Amino acid sequence: MSKRAQSNCKDEPVIAITSVNKAFGSRLVLKNIDLHVDRAQGVCICGVNGAGKSTLLRIIAGLLRPSQGTVRLCGLDVNSEPEKAKAQLGVISHKSMLYPALRIFENLLFFAKLYDVKDSHDRVRELLEDLGLSSYRYDRTDVLSRGMLQRLAIARAIVHRPAVLLADEPFTGLDREASRHLISNFDKFRAGGGTLLMTTHDTRLALQCCNRVVVLDKNRFIFDAETSQIDTGRFAEDYLSYARGRN
Amino acid sequence: MNYFCKSLWAIFAKDIVTEFRSKQVLPTMIVLGMLIAWVLRIVSEAASLSTTVIGPAVLWIAFLFSGLLAQERSFAVEEQEDCIAGLLLAPVDPGTIYIAKLFTNIIMLCVFELVVVPVIFLTFQLSVADKWFEFITVLLLGNIGISCVGTLFSAMVQLSRIRGSLLSVLVLVILMPMMIPATFALLLLFGAIPGELAGSGTLALVGNFKTAIGYMVAFDAVYTVTCWLLFGFVVQE
Repeated sequence: MSKRAQSNCKDEPVIAITSVNKAFGSRLVLKNIDLHVDRAQGVCICGVNGAGKSTLLRIIAGLLRPSQGTVRLCGLDVNSEPEKAKAQLGVISHKSMLYPALRIFENLLFFAKLYDVKDSHDRVRELLEDLGLSSYRYDRTDVLSRGMLQRLAIARAIVHRPAVLLADEPFTGLDREASRHLISNFDKFRAGGGTLLMTTHDTRLALQCCNRVVVLDKNRFIFDAETSQIDTGRFAEDYLSYARGRN
Repeated sequence: MNYFCKSLWAIFAKDIVTEFRSKQVLPTMIVLGMLIAWVLRIVSEAASLSTTVIGPAVLWIAFLFSGLLAQERSFAVEEQEDCIAGLLLAPVDPGTIYIAKLFTNIIMLCVFELVVVPVIFLTFQLSVADKWFEFITVLLLGNIGISCVGTLFSAMVQLSRIRGSLLSVLVLVILMPMMIPATFALLLLFGAIPGELAGSGTLALVGNFKTAIGYMVAFDAVYTVTCWLLFGFVVQE
């Protein structure tokens, strides 16, 4: 993680969500959401389909405005200082957000330039080596397998050394080996001081790379605990039967 | 180079490289332009129409419809793999994205015109004599007008998921105030309207060549600024 991102997040929660409400027309999706996440934490947000997980992530990323409440990233209000806040943030989802017609290094270089990364060429080279993609650097992105595409999506998301990584259903469509790679990349990111916030259906995988789990249901958080305080195996089973009941 | 210029150049270069590599838009534009030219050439011969009268109409019909085709694609590329979210997540002002897309669409139209204009000139035996500068000015102003409106509506249509058909209808209505002086300017350049008749009768509405250019410049300035300001609202939420 860059010195700049670390210094901005020293004395306050990296993510501070305060009294956030979100309604689409008359339909309330999020009600009075409060969440504070500290540096280097890994938080997994679980919830059934339609619980509002992705909406919450889009609000944190500044892609949606909350109807009420504030979201701060490293002390920066996402809505009043969007450019500065976005510089602290990397996002991955089940879609890669990469251009199929561009080569691998071109895609990363493009995003490095968008984020004004000073050592863009060196940074791209470093990421390609770290993620085992160096030998594919001149390949077009549309020839990559799903697992490699997800690795490249991580490289895109952290090319600017963000303080926070948001991951929306990152394990969707990945086989066991690719999921294992993804978890090790998340661990590396957190070991470097990065903060991870992810949504997923697959609690077993998420609990391997997160140290805190929250459950979102009926527009609000109904469970919030450190993984050290719970029996993770039993939680995964209980959550699964609860989710089946809700669906 | 400041951040605005860097990000503008990055998005513009990415769009140009993507298009010239995937070759999705330009070949289709050129085929459509040629088709329009040939169909209207046959019609003008069958109806014994003067080529200097129908020539400007052919040029604008070809530019307009091929331009709309290109502009519809400019945000379709961003829809693949949710790339538009990748752009909006970057600390780039939405206005910068709009300007970059606008430049790309103008360049695409210019490249298209480099191919199609000589064909239409040959097919309709048109000539602008020594008024090439005026001719290029009219085309460039037309390109800017078509592209500034088309780029905004392309984003609206692609991102709101209303899709194709609405773009053409809305853009054509909005472009009408520019297309009238644009056609008039070309009619004057090709000699279809004698200079002494310009500014008289119903032609008084658009005045002379300079007035027509003035209308086009005003249209381009007003709509480029308006669309640039509105773009942020269109792409967010």
